[in-house]
Amino acid sequence: MDLEPLLFNITAGLILGSIYGISTIGLSLIFGVMRIVNVGHGSFIMLGAYIAYWLFTLYGLVPLVSLAVAFTLGLALGMAIFYIMVRRFLGAPEISSLMAMFGLGVMLEEIAKQFWGIDYRGYSWYLGAIPYLGLRLQVTSILGAVLGLIAAIAIFLFLFKTGVGTSIRAVVQDPVGAYICGIDVHRIYSTSVGIGLGMTMLGGVLLTLYNPTGINPYMGQPYTLKAFVIAVLGGLGSPLGAYIGGLIFGLVESGVTYIFSQMGSPSPGSLALFLGFMLLIILLLAKPEGLMRR
Amino acid sequence: MRFQRIHVLQVIVSLIFYIFLWIIRETFPQYGQFVTLLIFYTALGQAFNIFLGMTGYVDFGYVAFLALGMYGGGLAVKIAAEAGLQPVLALVLGPLLASLMAAAVASAVGGVALRLRGAYFAIATIGVNEGLRYLIEGAKIWGGSEGLIIARDLRSLFGDEGFSYVTTIYADTFLIFTAVAAAITTWLIKNSRIGYGLAALREDETAARVMGVNTTAYKIIAFTISALFGGLIGSAWGLKIVAIYPPEAFNITYTVEAIIIVVLGGMGTLLGPIIGGSIYTLAKYYLGVLIPGFQLLVFSAILIIVAVAFPYGLLGHIRGYIRNYALRELLR
Repeated sequence: MDLEPLLFNITAGLILGSIYGISTIGLSLIFGVMRIVNVGHGSFIMLGAYIAYWLFTLYGLVPLVSLAVAFTLGLALGMAIFYIMVRRFLGAPEISSLMAMFGLGVMLEEIAKQFWGIDYRGYSWYLGAIPYLGLRLQVTSILGAVLGLIAAIAIFLFLFKTGVGTSIRAVVQDPVGAYICGIDVHRIYSTSVGIGLGMTMLGGVLLTLYNPTGINPYMGQPYTLKAFVIAVLGGLGSPLGAYIGGLIFGLVESGVTYIFSQMGSPSPGSLALFLGFMLLIILLLAKPEGLMRR
Repeated sequence: MRFQRIHVLQVIVSLIFYIFLWIIRETFPQYGQFVTLLIFYTALGQAFNIFLGMTGYVDFGYVAFLALGMYGGGLAVKIAAEAGLQPVLALVLGPLLASLMAAAVASAVGGVALRLRGAYFAIATIGVNEGLRYLIEGAKIWGGSEGLIIARDLRSLFGDEGFSYVTTIYADTFLIFTAVAAAITTWLIKNSRIGYGLAALREDETAARVMGVNTTAYKIIAFTISALFGGLIGSAWGLKIVAIYPPEAFNITYTVEAIIIVVLGGMGTLLGPIIGGSIYTLAKYYLGVLIPGFQLLVFSAILIIVAVAFPYGLLGHIRGYIRNYALRELLR
């Protein structure tokens, strides 16, 4: 076992993890505020990826612009979805919201399929590569990771330094108490769904910076499942935990895949994912509140 | 156990439905594909209803038991073909192995995961389902991602004519019997101590525990029985598709379809799966015929509408309007 490739994999894992983390913040936020699991999470990542792709190929806009577009669209979409759909599931049994969110995810996939077909698409935005440990790191993927970190810091500042953010945290802690203290809980709910889906779509844009190929209507499905593991790692309902959970998951996935491939396993990626889901179940049983208990 | 006459009538109604299905299957082979789907979906609903309908716990990884059943049935065929056993043994061994595997995994997973509630349980079951899938793919168990292909083994066991008989008539009949067995089991559970305990835990688990209902044991029993029937369905379905690949076998769509059928019909009702399964099959089949390529779009819209408009199922909705006691009990 060489040390250099392993170190390289750890770096790649952190880069990917930063993007994973940003993509999962929305899922955790929505769960924290409303106790609703967004089973259609991956479809919003797919939308973000398509935004990056189309803006780049049609108008030549770099993904930095797409970030703002994706976030704004996600915000609007999230608020609309809250008032049309999610509002009706508050306090309903889980089954209704799970079914509806899954349905929403499938619907977005199908709409994307009708518009853009099922071919894999990709774009190339090349900024050069940095030699690192005998291998090469793409500048775009480093940029994706850094932007992910900036977005995470922005969310942190928003939640802890602004009035709306404080209200959101209050609602996460105790919706009834927040309501009694004069917080318009429904507005906080809609804001949270908006910001949650905005962050998810932004994550989709960042994902294309790491891997600008393989954009298609069904690309989101693996991310939905990974997002569950990540969200539980960081503690369901804790947006910042989700970012740190993303870093951990990226490291584990990348490192374990490398170790398995060194051991001569024919499909190291699958085994790494298997370990990931084992981790999920163990965590749910041992520490359902997550690793970063405040 | 004392039964009211009306509850005996309930089970007779479901039996009539399945006999009717079987007769249609025999007399109108041109509807074969549709009837096969109808049998599969009602059976799936009947099996899943035992857990989801009775406990209200959302198992988002139910398809794992179907997949285990497919693998169990497929392995039995492979073993029988390679060891040169009697062909009939493959069909006996298959369901046995399938139900054993599904029930074993279910009791292990249930004993652990059923301590979680609500969304946490749903996420854990998704994790179990995906974990199993990636384990089979990654560790190359049962052919890994190349799949378990049993077409050639079936042909060598039964010959060409026997092959088409086993993959159509035999598999469908087996599914009908599974559905009937699941329906009768549902009925027996509903009218027993366990059924009352489950009804209590579905309404308010904490209160049920306080009142001395052994909720943990009842949950695991329902989970395991439901999984066992899921495994049986899988073993027959595996005979029909003759090639089992992990991504398809563990596809979450089956789980969601099962949830739709149970919720649409009415959770925990005896006739719910029949009603939900029939409506769902009709919708799915004719959407596929009328607007090929768009059926998933419509399917997702239906899913959202059902979730918003009928949180207590169609039966529950209709029951609200019925004043006649006997009729209401029939739809219980």
